[in-house]
Amino acid sequence: MKLGSVKYLVGEGIKNTWVNRLMTLASVGVLVACMVIIGLAILITENVNVAIGNLEQQNVVMAYMKDYNWALYSDDNTSEDQASSSETASSENEDGENSADEDEADKNGIKETDYIIHSDEEAQALCDEIAKLPNVAEVIFVSSEEGLQTVKDSMLAGQDEYFDFLNEEYGNPMSCAAKIKMKDMALFDETLEQISALEGIDIIQSQSDLAEKITAIKNGIGVAGVWIIAILMVIALVIVSNTIRVTMYNRKLEISIMKAVGATDTFVRIPFVVEGMLIGLISAVIAEGLLYFCYRVATETIISTLSTTDIVKYGDVALWLFLVFAVIGLFAGVLGSVIMIGKYLRREGSEFAAI
Amino acid sequence: MEQFLTNAEILQPQRPIIEFRGVSKTYPGGTHALEDVNIKIHNGEFVFIVGSSGAGKSTFMKLIMREEKTNTGEIKVNGFNLTDMKRKDVPLLRRTMGIVFQDFRLIPTMNVFDNVAFAMYVVGASGRDIRREVSKALSKVGLGHKARSMPSQLSGGEQQRVGLARALVNSPDLIIADEPTGNVDPNMSYEIVSLLTEINKKGTTILMVTHDHNLVRDFQHRVIMLDGGKIVADNAGGDLQ
Repeated sequence: MKLGSVKYLVGEGIKNTWVNRLMTLASVGVLVACMVIIGLAILITENVNVAIGNLEQQNVVMAYMKDYNWALYSDDNTSEDQASSSETASSENEDGENSADEDEADKNGIKETDYIIHSDEEAQALCDEIAKLPNVAEVIFVSSEEGLQTVKDSMLAGQDEYFDFLNEEYGNPMSCAAKIKMKDMALFDETLEQISALEGIDIIQSQSDLAEKITAIKNGIGVAGVWIIAILMVIALVIVSNTIRVTMYNRKLEISIMKAVGATDTFVRIPFVVEGMLIGLISAVIAEGLLYFCYRVATETIISTLSTTDIVKYGDVALWLFLVFAVIGLFAGVLGSVIMIGKYLRREGSEFAAI
Repeated sequence: MEQFLTNAEILQPQRPIIEFRGVSKTYPGGTHALEDVNIKIHNGEFVFIVGSSGAGKSTFMKLIMREEKTNTGEIKVNGFNLTDMKRKDVPLLRRTMGIVFQDFRLIPTMNVFDNVAFAMYVVGASGRDIRREVSKALSKVGLGHKARSMPSQLSGGEQQRVGLARALVNSPDLIIADEPTGNVDPNMSYEIVSLLTEINKKGTTILMVTHDHNLVRDFQHRVIMLDGGKIVADNAGGDLQ
């Protein structure tokens, strides 16, 4: 197609938009409404994601390690220790040359072979191993002393004395631990299994219920968002198609003459596609402005009443939202006009001969 | 798409520009519009198509413009075989012909110049060609001075002459006129057919549907009469057969 023809057709499309300004206005109105609702759905989803993200950050998993303190307080270990110590003792009696460093039990009857993590360095190495797991975002090593202090801090006044007593009489009841944050809560159980499988991990303390709830909320919002957008896209498509149909019937005479003098279907179609695109783009610009205004008012109210600052800034999503609106507008405009004019040309467009 | 004749051959006198071989057309519902029509219209001829309502004139013209397809038989127009023509090739066929409508079909929001130029925009002509050819076409039909007038400011005869200028502007080999005098007074009818005759003398084939027996009698061109979907008379050799 020649440049002159393209200019002519684009000009025709723009002219049609103005000539059918009432229908254009109606279509733009409905499209803007659809886009604003879609925008709100996106903004709500984003804000919920931010809130959930904060929750996820708080959803920390504690993986306790099999260190000396674990051996000290482990019932199974104690009985095994005793059996093991007596065996060792008899063994020593028999050959009298076993290594004292490896097998000799301490005053609590615990030998080095009874536990796996012997030092903070080994604990840190295990933390590094955990950090290598794909869904692990962050691992912080918590020493047994820090762990004890944390537990004591969480107790009511006076209750922490029990832990002091335990510590003084028997030793620190807290094992060293890895404080783990995950990337995706949907992979929570899978990640827990991977951590448990590592040698040196005793038990894992987690809030799996919360993880499940977070995942369910995220999925629910995602599904609802997709449905809202899909339904509104269909509405947008129908609205633009309808406008194009009216324009087409208004221009029935021109179309019949075009066909009679040898216009191709593409040539007939282009002005309508241009009109549809214009309607879509005008709607996108108006929707962006309107949504900005509505969101600003809403966030100012929320910030002043709820005293929260965890709200997505419009500026952070403005360009992205405009792109979404433009794509919706262009999609509805182009597809609506192509469908309508195609239908018309197949059924009636060639009826130029009144003989 | 098969092209039966070269352009040089088409433009030679006595070469058929339109050829129907055993053409029949039955519409869904069983209406037999044309039955076993065999005819040749040669390049440079002026042909009146006459017949009562329901005789098959509309179908005959629609088949030439590839508005309809045949059920049986073969049609060749301007070197195009219409029988197996693809939809995308139909515009190419139509660019070789000009069409004049009974109801003028001018776009009321465009002036005379733009109404004629419209036909050239469609085929992608340049701005310079459009200005030159539209002026020429309007001069041919005697409306060079009315280029800026709106259709509503013209008489019926003048509007039909604008329609004729639009049909002429792309220099077609064939002009199909659908009762071009149907909506104008008798004097203007004569003027329009005179114009068509002038155009025909310069080599353009004219196919004109009419009910006006006076015009047919006075202009002495070839007449094809249709009745019940069949050609019942054709004075191709001189007198009506």
